[in-house]
Amino acid sequence: MSERAAVPARPSRPWSAEVAGALLRRTSARLGLAWIGLLALVAAFAPFIANSHPLYMVLDGEARFPAFAHLDAADVSWLAGLVLAFVAWRSRGPAFLRFAGWFAATALVAVLAWATVSPPPLVIYEQYREWEAAGRAERVVRAPIPYSAKDYLRDHGDTGMEPPLAGRDGRTHWFGTEDNGADVASRMIHAARIALGIGFIATGIALVIGTIIGGLMGYFSGVVDMIGMRLVEIFEAIPTLFLLLTFVAFFGRSVYMMMVIIGITSWSGYARYVRAEFLRLREQDFVQAAVASGLPLTSILFRHMLPNGVAPLLVAASFGVASAILAETTLSFLGLGVVDDPSWGQLLNQAVQSSTFNWWLAVFPGGAIFLTVFAYNLVGEALRDAVDPHTQRAGRAG
Amino acid sequence: MTLLSVRDLATELSDGERWLRAVDGVSLDIRAGETFCLVGESGSGKSVTALSVMGLLPHGRHRHPSGEVRLHDRDGEVSLLGAGESVLTGVRGRRIGMIFQEPMTSLNPVMTIGEQLDEALRLHEPGLDAAARAERVRAALEEVRIPDAASRVREYPHRLSGGQRQRVMIAMALICEPHLLIADEPTTALDVTVQAEILRLMRELQQRRGMGMLFITHDFGVVARIADTVGVMRQGRLVECGPVAEVLRRPQHEYTRSLIAALPERLPRAERPPAGEQPLLEVRDLAVHFPVRRGLLRRVVDHVRAVDGVSLDVHPGEVVALVGESGCGKTTLGRALLRLIEPTAGQIALEGRDITRLSAEALRPLRRRMQVVFQDPGSSLNPRLPIATTLIEPMRVHGVGRDDDERLARAAALLERVEMPPDSLWRYPHEFSGGQRQRLAIARALVLEPRFVVCDEITSALDVSVQAGILKLLRRLVDEEGLGMLFITHNMGVVEYLSDRMAVMRAGRLVETGRTAEVLARPRHDYTRALLAAVPRLDAQAA
Repeated sequence: MSERAAVPARPSRPWSAEVAGALLRRTSARLGLAWIGLLALVAAFAPFIANSHPLYMVLDGEARFPAFAHLDAADVSWLAGLVLAFVAWRSRGPAFLRFAGWFAATALVAVLAWATVSPPPLVIYEQYREWEAAGRAERVVRAPIPYSAKDYLRDHGDTGMEPPLAGRDGRTHWFGTEDNGADVASRMIHAARIALGIGFIATGIALVIGTIIGGLMGYFSGVVDMIGMRLVEIFEAIPTLFLLLTFVAFFGRSVYMMMVIIGITSWSGYARYVRAEFLRLREQDFVQAAVASGLPLTSILFRHMLPNGVAPLLVAASFGVASAILAETTLSFLGLGVVDDPSWGQLLNQAVQSSTFNWWLAVFPGGAIFLTVFAYNLVGEALRDAVDPHTQRAGRAG
Repeated sequence: MTLLSVRDLATELSDGERWLRAVDGVSLDIRAGETFCLVGESGSGKSVTALSVMGLLPHGRHRHPSGEVRLHDRDGEVSLLGAGESVLTGVRGRRIGMIFQEPMTSLNPVMTIGEQLDEALRLHEPGLDAAARAERVRAALEEVRIPDAASRVREYPHRLSGGQRQRVMIAMALICEPHLLIADEPTTALDVTVQAEILRLMRELQQRRGMGMLFITHDFGVVARIADTVGVMRQGRLVECGPVAEVLRRPQHEYTRSLIAALPERLPRAERPPAGEQPLLEVRDLAVHFPVRRGLLRRVVDHVRAVDGVSLDVHPGEVVALVGESGCGKTTLGRALLRLIEPTAGQIALEGRDITRLSAEALRPLRRRMQVVFQDPGSSLNPRLPIATTLIEPMRVHGVGRDDDERLARAAALLERVEMPPDSLWRYPHEFSGGQRQRLAIARALVLEPRFVVCDEITSALDVSVQAGILKLLRRLVDEEGLGMLFITHNMGVVEYLSDRMAVMRAGRLVETGRTAEVLARPRHDYTRALLAAVPRLDAQAA
């Protein structure tokens, strides 16, 4: 109507804040994020939740902190990542910059940790129990679950599968033990890292590749688009699982290799999304105006086009994380995943391997996988609604 | 005989949280054979009034606190407001026909036009057999003058032009011979020459059948052409209502007067300083051809000659209007001048320097000399950036201003020039109305201090009163700063107010160029004459 009346009194909020607000208004998104947040906490504090090394003990009259002394580079990186995430969350500035800052700082800490942190190479879990039995240790403060993921309880003769709370020798295994005698609860807690890490890193790799290739295809179209789309088709023709199986057969098992392979085989979907968005955005007047103003290409692509085309990408990414987790679990279930290191899929595998059906190895890891994938799907679904203008202002006629 | 009587109609719409009053106590009567025009600016509630009468508002999201709508025709009397779905189904199509604004989306693209017309007949005239229905369909299409109607029955909508689709829509609305026709901006999306034909057709059909017609429009020119009675709406209220000659010639209400005064051809024109001698932009034989590729090998079989040998000069301090109907190539020409589209042949010189073949790199510093403002206020500004960033970024790239503080001060000063409050800097585009966004888009174009600006239909999505403000602003900027401007439009009133010279474009070529006053008074080319005759004007009625 009249031109003057439309400026509202409330201060402006950027689009990212609007979307975050709309997302957090949904109960499903809150539940999903709460579960993911809980997983992240558990993953970061795993050495303090489940560890055979006591947190604090006095040995022969000397105070010691064995759990801290045995922290390795991965533990330090996870803790630093969590603390920095908290710092980034509390600080001010554009969401993208804060995320980039968090990512860079965490990567830096991780590199430093790998170079400097060196826990004792020889780990003897039994010694604490022996010292305690011999009366050398006093005032032992243990973690809530006093077993490490790889503590196979060699000092006890009767190791092997044990249902939950079937306690022998005064041991309490809340979720039972697995094939080798390790505590299932402890292994599940430490496996949360693989589940989270593989989801985020594999999806991150796919997002970066997909955005760059899709963006170039969409903006330049023509020959670039034709070559790009053929590349997309080639990658879509590769079945991820078989490629993973082949690589595992040739190069051995490594969780990092899995992340990279899942990442470089799943970018094609994101590339299609970005391409479609950029094809649409290129014709928009504000992009043409940016070209007419002589702005450099990087600014046009990443400042004017990408933030406007990022919505479907976010939604696809949250579903992508869930499918990456499932891919890793599948491999581990097939017995081709990580060796020795804990993983939910690997525990699930043990549930069916022996002649008896070990229900506690199926229910707990299976439940964790289900809840995590479900949480990501909830978030993805809520995000889809939050970025969709139709569900926001439905039915405004007139 | 009163055909439709609306008494004290109020409609409230819900946005999920609150109830907003869209129509507020509207009363009107339409007699058989009468055309009642509802005119008003966007958001004034004229479409909601029509939808309320038809009972077509979204279910559960509207309510009527008061009001009565009665239809009284040969089939008896019926109260429509709050009537059940079974009653309304009998009325819609059968007794009240409706035509919508957008001919491109009003027809189902997967059904032939014959099937769509037939469906309406089958529903409302179950007694007719297939042969009789086919005859009715053919007759209806002939009545709206679709050429070769008998074979056109089997065509799909995409094979028809916009004007022909609107004819089919009219045929569909009239096939069951309704007693009342509701037309919601039926010609707004059409070119003026097509609009003139459709209006003539509607008028003729209405008189032949003695229908009542409720015609919704925002264009006073159309009102003057078609209306018997006119009602002016503002913020849900009917502020003035009366015979068309009375209302247009002697408007009683202040709002009606201000609306008519805001029509561009009615705006007062100040004395203008003479334009510069040296041409700012020289265009010689410019051509833009798009290849048409067909077949397996994507061979180029033909070219679409969007712009075909155009020569044009723009002087500093001068507005040149480029006029033409949709698809004539005027937007392509505007974009080609700025090198947003690569020209196929010809020459563009800016301030004496040939820029036709400059590389993107060499062109970048010259970009600040020529700028553009686009048509659609919805997409003219980046929705994810605050206005300050949109304005400052180009300055930074081109090295205007020493630091960001100085650039911010310049941006604030510029906002004042386009008559926007300075706190707009920290807001996002979605917080502004269409007219405000176009002002901001003008500010973005001016931030680099260009010499030449292309304005591509920048006021056609705006209401007249908002358009008047923008036109005055543009003229002031041109006069005070000696800009050269190419103003692309299809609105003759805007041409008359704003431009010094005009060029008429048709099928990629300029058919006539000259001083605006001369061309409007004595058009030399046949096409210009046809175009000018088709423009609906207020004076046509007044005279």
